Amino acid sequence: MIARLYRMLPGPTAVRILVSIVIVAGLLVGLHFFYDWLGNTILDTGGAVG
Amino acid sequence: MTETTETTGTPEESPPAVGWGGLALRIARVTGWTLVWLGALTLGFVAHQLWITSWFAQHNQGELGEERVAQWASTSITEVEVAPADDGETAQDPGEAPPQPVVLKVESPPELHAAFALIRIPSIERLADGWNVVEGVTLADLKTGAGHMPDTALPGQPGNAVISGHRTTYGQPFHELDQLKPGDRIEVETALGTHVYAVRETRIVAATELSVTEPRDGAWLTLTTCHPMFSARQRLVVFAELVAGPNFDAIQELT
Repeated sequence: MIARLYRMLPGPTAVRILVSIVIVAGLLVGLHFFYDWLGNTILDTGGAVG
Repeated sequence: MTETTETTGTPEESPPAVGWGGLALRIARVTGWTLVWLGALTLGFVAHQLWITSWFAQHNQGELGEERVAQWASTSITEVEVAPADDGETAQDPGEAPPQPVVLKVESPPELHAAFALIRIPSIERLADGWNVVEGVTLADLKTGAGHMPDTALPGQPGNAVISGHRTTYGQPFHELDQLKPGDRIEVETALGTHVYAVRETRIVAATELSVTEPRDGAWLTLTTCHPMFSARQRLVVFAELVAGPNFDAIQELT
Protein backbone atom coordinates (compact mmCIF):
# COMPACT_ATOMS: atom_id res chain seq x y z
CA MET A 1 0.00 0.00 0.00
CA ILE A 2 2.81 2.41 0.92
CA ALA A 3 4.64 1.58 -2.33
CA ARG A 4 1.45 2.21 -4.30
CA LEU A 5 0.95 5.58 -2.58
CA TYR A 6 4.58 6.49 -3.31
CA ARG A 7 4.10 5.70 -7.01
CA MET A 8 1.06 7.98 -7.09
CA LEU A 9 3.22 10.98 -6.16
CA PRO A 10 4.00 13.31 -9.06
CA GLY A 11 7.41 14.32 -10.35
CA PRO A 12 10.83 12.76 -10.53
CA THR A 13 12.31 10.61 -7.76
CA ALA A 14 13.93 13.49 -5.89
CA VAL A 15 10.62 15.38 -5.70
CA ARG A 16 8.78 12.24 -4.68
CA ILE A 17 11.23 11.63 -1.85
CA LEU A 18 10.94 15.24 -0.68
CA VAL A 19 7.13 15.13 -0.79
CA SER A 20 7.19 11.79 1.08
CA ILE A 21 9.36 13.28 3.84
CA VAL A 22 7.02 16.26 4.19
CA ILE A 23 3.94 14.00 4.32
CA VAL A 24 5.51 11.64 6.89
CA ALA A 25 6.64 14.58 9.05
CA GLY A 26 3.13 16.05 8.89
CA LEU A 27 1.62 12.72 9.86
CA LEU A 28 4.01 12.35 12.80
CA VAL A 29 3.19 15.84 14.08
CA GLY A 30 -0.53 15.12 13.72
CA LEU A 31 -0.08 11.81 15.49
CA HIS A 32 1.82 13.54 18.31
CA PHE A 33 -1.06 15.95 18.94
CA PHE A 34 -3.60 13.14 18.71
CA TYR A 35 -1.64 10.98 21.19
CA ASP A 36 -1.18 13.98 23.48
CA TRP A 37 -4.90 14.71 23.49
CA LEU A 38 -5.76 11.05 24.04
CA GLY A 39 -3.27 10.70 26.90
CA ASN A 40 -4.47 13.87 28.60
CA THR A 41 -8.08 12.76 28.26
CA ILE A 42 -8.04 9.15 29.36
CA LEU A 43 -4.67 8.31 30.88
CA ASP A 44 -3.37 11.14 33.02
CA THR A 45 -4.85 14.62 33.16
CA GLY A 46 -2.07 15.90 35.37
CA GLY A 47 -3.72 15.18 38.70
CA ALA A 48 -5.48 18.50 39.25
CA VAL A 49 -8.75 18.29 41.14
CA GLY A 50 -11.96 19.74 39.76
CA MET B 1 -2.91 -14.03 -34.56
CA THR B 2 -0.99 -13.24 -31.47
CA GLU B 3 -2.56 -13.27 -28.10
CA THR B 4 -1.77 -10.30 -25.87
CA THR B 5 -2.22 -10.32 -22.18
CA GLU B 6 -2.92 -7.05 -20.41
CA THR B 7 -1.57 -6.95 -16.90
CA THR B 8 -2.55 -4.48 -14.25
CA GLY B 9 -1.01 -3.80 -10.85
CA THR B 10 2.49 -4.60 -9.77
CA PRO B 11 4.43 -7.85 -9.93
CA GLU B 12 4.30 -8.38 -6.15
CA GLU B 13 0.51 -8.22 -6.13
CA SER B 14 -1.22 -11.56 -6.13
CA PRO B 15 -3.49 -12.46 -9.06
CA PRO B 16 -7.15 -11.57 -8.62
CA ALA B 17 -8.91 -14.17 -6.57
CA VAL B 18 -12.24 -15.59 -7.59
CA GLY B 19 -15.16 -17.12 -5.75
CA TRP B 20 -15.85 -17.43 -2.03
CA GLY B 21 -12.31 -18.52 -1.30
CA GLY B 22 -10.98 -15.39 -2.92
CA LEU B 23 -13.37 -13.19 -0.98
CA ALA B 24 -12.40 -14.84 2.28
CA LEU B 25 -8.73 -14.36 1.40
CA ARG B 26 -9.31 -10.68 0.69
CA ILE B 27 -11.23 -10.17 3.96
CA ALA B 28 -8.47 -11.95 5.87
CA ARG B 29 -5.83 -9.79 4.22
CA VAL B 30 -7.67 -6.51 4.95
CA THR B 31 -8.38 -7.60 8.53
CA GLY B 32 -4.77 -8.61 9.02
CA TRP B 33 -3.38 -5.31 7.76
CA THR B 34 -5.94 -3.35 9.81
CA LEU B 35 -4.83 -5.20 12.96
CA VAL B 36 -1.17 -4.63 12.12
CA TRP B 37 -1.77 -0.89 11.74
CA LEU B 38 -3.90 -0.72 14.91
CA GLY B 39 -1.15 -2.55 16.80
CA ALA B 40 1.50 -0.18 15.46
CA LEU B 41 -0.62 2.85 16.41
CA THR B 42 -1.20 1.44 19.90
CA LEU B 43 2.50 0.75 20.40
CA GLY B 44 3.21 4.26 19.15
CA PHE B 45 0.75 5.66 21.71
CA VAL B 46 2.41 3.75 24.56
CA ALA B 47 5.89 4.84 23.45
CA HIS B 48 4.70 8.44 23.11
CA GLN B 49 3.12 8.52 26.55
CA LEU B 50 5.96 6.81 28.38
CA TRP B 51 9.05 8.21 26.68
CA ILE B 52 8.29 11.17 24.47
CA THR B 53 6.20 13.04 27.06
CA SER B 54 8.89 12.33 29.66
CA TRP B 55 11.55 13.65 27.33
CA PHE B 56 9.53 16.86 26.96
CA ALA B 57 9.13 17.11 30.74
CA GLN B 58 12.85 16.59 31.43
CA HIS B 59 13.68 19.20 28.82
CA ASN B 60 11.19 21.64 30.37
CA GLN B 61 12.52 20.96 33.87
CA GLY B 62 15.94 22.22 32.84
CA GLU B 63 14.46 25.47 31.56
CA LEU B 64 12.18 25.82 34.59
CA GLY B 65 15.17 25.48 36.93
CA GLU B 66 16.77 28.56 35.39
CA GLU B 67 13.44 30.39 35.40
CA ARG B 68 12.92 29.56 39.10
CA VAL B 69 16.31 30.91 40.09
CA ALA B 70 15.54 34.15 38.23
CA GLN B 71 12.10 34.30 39.88
CA TRP B 72 13.64 33.91 43.34
CA ALA B 73 16.04 36.76 42.64
CA SER B 74 13.14 39.08 41.80
CA THR B 75 10.80 37.93 44.60
CA SER B 76 10.28 40.45 47.36
CA ILE B 77 9.81 39.22 50.92
CA THR B 78 7.88 41.25 53.45
CA GLU B 79 7.03 40.73 57.10
CA VAL B 80 3.37 40.95 57.97
CA GLU B 81 1.94 41.18 61.47
CA VAL B 82 -1.00 38.87 62.01
CA ALA B 83 -3.17 38.77 65.12
CA PRO B 84 -3.68 35.31 66.60
CA ALA B 85 -7.18 33.98 66.02
CA ASP B 86 -9.60 34.45 68.91
CA ASP B 87 -11.52 31.22 69.31
CA GLY B 88 -13.82 32.83 71.89
CA GLU B 89 -13.59 29.84 74.22
CA THR B 90 -10.92 31.03 76.63
CA ALA B 91 -11.80 34.02 78.73
CA GLN B 92 -8.97 36.45 79.06
CA ASP B 93 -7.91 37.63 82.54
CA PRO B 94 -8.52 41.37 83.01
CA GLY B 95 -4.88 41.93 83.95
CA GLU B 96 -3.47 39.80 81.15
CA ALA B 97 -1.98 41.53 78.16
CA PRO B 98 -3.74 40.88 74.86
CA PRO B 99 -2.00 38.32 72.61
CA GLN B 100 0.80 39.85 70.63
CA PRO B 101 0.56 39.75 66.87
CA VAL B 102 2.95 37.33 65.24
CA VAL B 103 5.19 38.17 62.31
CA LEU B 104 4.77 36.11 59.15
CA LYS B 105 7.25 36.23 56.31
CA VAL B 106 5.37 36.57 53.04
CA GLU B 107 6.76 36.42 49.53
CA SER B 108 5.28 38.27 46.57
CA PRO B 109 2.85 36.07 44.63
CA PRO B 110 4.43 34.23 41.67
CA GLU B 111 3.44 35.05 38.11
CA LEU B 112 0.97 32.65 36.52
CA HIS B 113 2.70 29.79 34.66
CA ALA B 114 6.11 30.71 36.11
CA ALA B 115 8.32 28.33 38.10
CA PHE B 116 8.58 29.47 41.71
CA ALA B 117 9.25 26.44 43.91
CA LEU B 118 11.03 23.11 44.10
CA ILE B 119 9.41 20.07 45.69
CA ARG B 120 11.61 17.34 47.18
CA ILE B 121 10.53 14.04 48.67
CA PRO B 122 13.60 12.23 50.02
CA SER B 123 11.83 8.85 50.28
CA ILE B 124 10.94 8.90 46.55
CA GLU B 125 14.01 8.50 44.39
CA ARG B 126 12.77 10.46 41.39
CA LEU B 127 11.88 13.42 43.65
CA ALA B 128 14.94 13.27 45.89
CA ASP B 129 16.69 15.95 43.82
CA GLY B 130 13.54 18.00 43.38
CA TRP B 131 10.96 18.80 40.72
CA ASN B 132 10.10 22.35 39.72
CA VAL B 133 6.68 23.71 40.61
CA VAL B 134 4.92 26.26 38.43
CA GLU B 135 2.03 28.55 39.30
CA GLY B 136 -1.10 27.12 37.67
CA VAL B 137 -2.68 23.75 37.00
CA THR B 138 -3.68 23.98 33.34
CA LEU B 139 -2.76 21.07 31.05
CA ALA B 140 0.09 23.18 29.66
CA ASP B 141 1.39 24.00 33.16
CA LEU B 142 1.37 20.37 34.25
CA LYS B 143 3.26 19.26 31.14
CA THR B 144 6.23 21.31 32.30
CA GLY B 145 6.28 20.69 36.04
CA ALA B 146 4.15 20.11 39.10
CA GLY B 147 1.49 22.82 39.38
CA HIS B 148 0.47 24.94 42.33
CA MET B 149 -3.26 25.59 42.33
CA PRO B 150 -3.82 29.37 42.20
CA ASP B 151 -5.97 30.81 45.00
CA THR B 152 -4.67 28.26 47.48
CA ALA B 153 -2.02 29.19 50.04
CA LEU B 154 1.59 29.39 48.95
CA PRO B 155 3.88 26.74 50.45
CA GLY B 156 5.01 27.76 53.92
CA GLN B 157 1.99 30.01 54.50
CA PRO B 158 -1.06 29.36 56.70
CA GLY B 159 -3.84 27.46 54.94
CA ASN B 160 -3.71 24.71 52.36
CA ALA B 161 -1.15 24.78 49.54
CA VAL B 162 -2.30 22.44 46.77
CA ILE B 163 0.21 21.01 44.29
CA SER B 164 -0.75 18.61 41.47
CA GLY B 165 1.40 16.47 39.21
CA HIS B 166 1.36 13.76 36.56
CA ARG B 167 1.52 10.16 37.69
CA THR B 168 2.23 8.17 34.52
CA THR B 169 3.25 10.67 31.84
CA TYR B 170 5.29 13.86 31.49
CA GLY B 171 8.12 12.73 33.74
CA GLN B 172 5.76 11.00 36.20
CA PRO B 173 6.74 13.25 39.13
CA PHE B 174 4.04 11.81 41.42
CA HIS B 175 4.31 8.20 40.22
CA GLU B 176 5.15 6.80 43.67
CA LEU B 177 2.95 9.11 45.72
CA ASP B 178 0.97 6.09 46.92
CA GLN B 179 4.08 4.80 48.70
CA LEU B 180 4.21 7.74 51.12
CA LYS B 181 3.54 6.81 54.73
CA PRO B 182 2.48 8.99 57.67
CA GLY B 183 5.52 10.85 58.94
CA ASP B 184 7.38 10.88 55.60
CA ARG B 185 9.05 14.18 54.90
CA ILE B 186 8.16 16.52 52.02
CA GLU B 187 10.21 19.65 51.43
CA VAL B 188 9.13 22.62 49.35
CA GLU B 189 11.73 25.27 48.67
CA THR B 190 10.60 28.77 47.73
CA ALA B 191 12.28 32.17 47.70
CA LEU B 192 11.49 32.30 51.43
CA GLY B 193 13.41 29.15 52.33
CA THR B 194 12.70 25.44 52.78
CA HIS B 195 9.34 24.47 54.21
CA VAL B 196 9.26 20.97 55.68
CA TYR B 197 6.03 19.01 55.83
CA ALA B 198 5.23 15.61 57.35
CA VAL B 199 2.68 13.30 55.70
CA ARG B 200 -0.42 12.87 57.85
CA GLU B 201 -3.00 11.18 55.63
CA THR B 202 -3.57 9.69 52.17
CA ARG B 203 -7.00 9.56 50.55
CA ILE B 204 -8.58 8.41 47.28
CA VAL B 205 -11.30 10.77 46.08
CA ALA B 206 -13.32 11.50 42.95
CA ALA B 207 -11.59 13.62 40.33
CA THR B 208 -14.02 16.47 41.03
CA GLU B 209 -13.71 16.40 44.85
CA LEU B 210 -12.81 20.05 45.38
CA SER B 211 -13.20 19.84 49.17
CA VAL B 212 -9.62 18.57 49.46
CA THR B 213 -8.41 21.98 48.27
CA GLU B 214 -10.27 23.97 50.93
CA PRO B 215 -8.31 26.01 53.50
CA ARG B 216 -7.32 24.22 56.73
CA ASP B 217 -6.23 25.38 60.18
CA GLY B 218 -2.46 25.57 60.43
CA ALA B 219 -0.25 25.18 57.38
CA TRP B 220 -0.85 22.21 55.10
CA LEU B 221 0.42 20.89 51.82
CA THR B 222 -1.95 18.81 49.69
CA LEU B 223 -0.51 16.80 46.81
CA THR B 224 -2.89 15.42 44.18
CA THR B 225 -2.35 13.05 41.28
CA CYS B 226 -4.33 10.69 39.06
CA HIS B 227 -5.57 7.36 40.43
CA PRO B 228 -5.56 4.48 39.69
CA MET B 229 -2.38 4.28 37.63
CA PHE B 230 -3.06 4.86 33.89
CA SER B 231 -6.50 6.29 34.60
CA ALA B 232 -7.81 9.80 35.24
CA ARG B 233 -10.95 8.54 36.99
CA GLN B 234 -9.98 9.40 40.59
CA ARG B 235 -7.39 11.36 42.54
CA LEU B 236 -4.82 10.18 45.05
CA VAL B 237 -4.50 12.92 47.66
CA VAL B 238 -1.72 13.25 50.24
CA PHE B 239 -2.16 15.67 53.13
CA ALA B 240 1.00 16.86 54.87
CA GLU B 241 1.40 19.30 57.76
CA LEU B 242 4.12 21.93 58.17
CA VAL B 243 6.66 20.81 60.78
CA ALA B 244 9.57 23.19 60.13
CA GLY B 245 10.46 26.24 58.09
CA PRO B 246 10.76 30.02 58.14
CA ASN B 247 7.12 30.52 59.23
CA PHE B 248 6.67 27.42 61.40
CA ASP B 249 6.97 29.16 64.81
CA ALA B 250 4.70 32.02 63.77
CA ILE B 251 2.03 29.65 62.45
CA GLN B 252 2.23 27.60 65.65
CA GLU B 253 1.45 30.75 67.63
CA LEU B 254 -1.42 31.61 65.29
CA THR B 255 -3.22 28.28 65.76
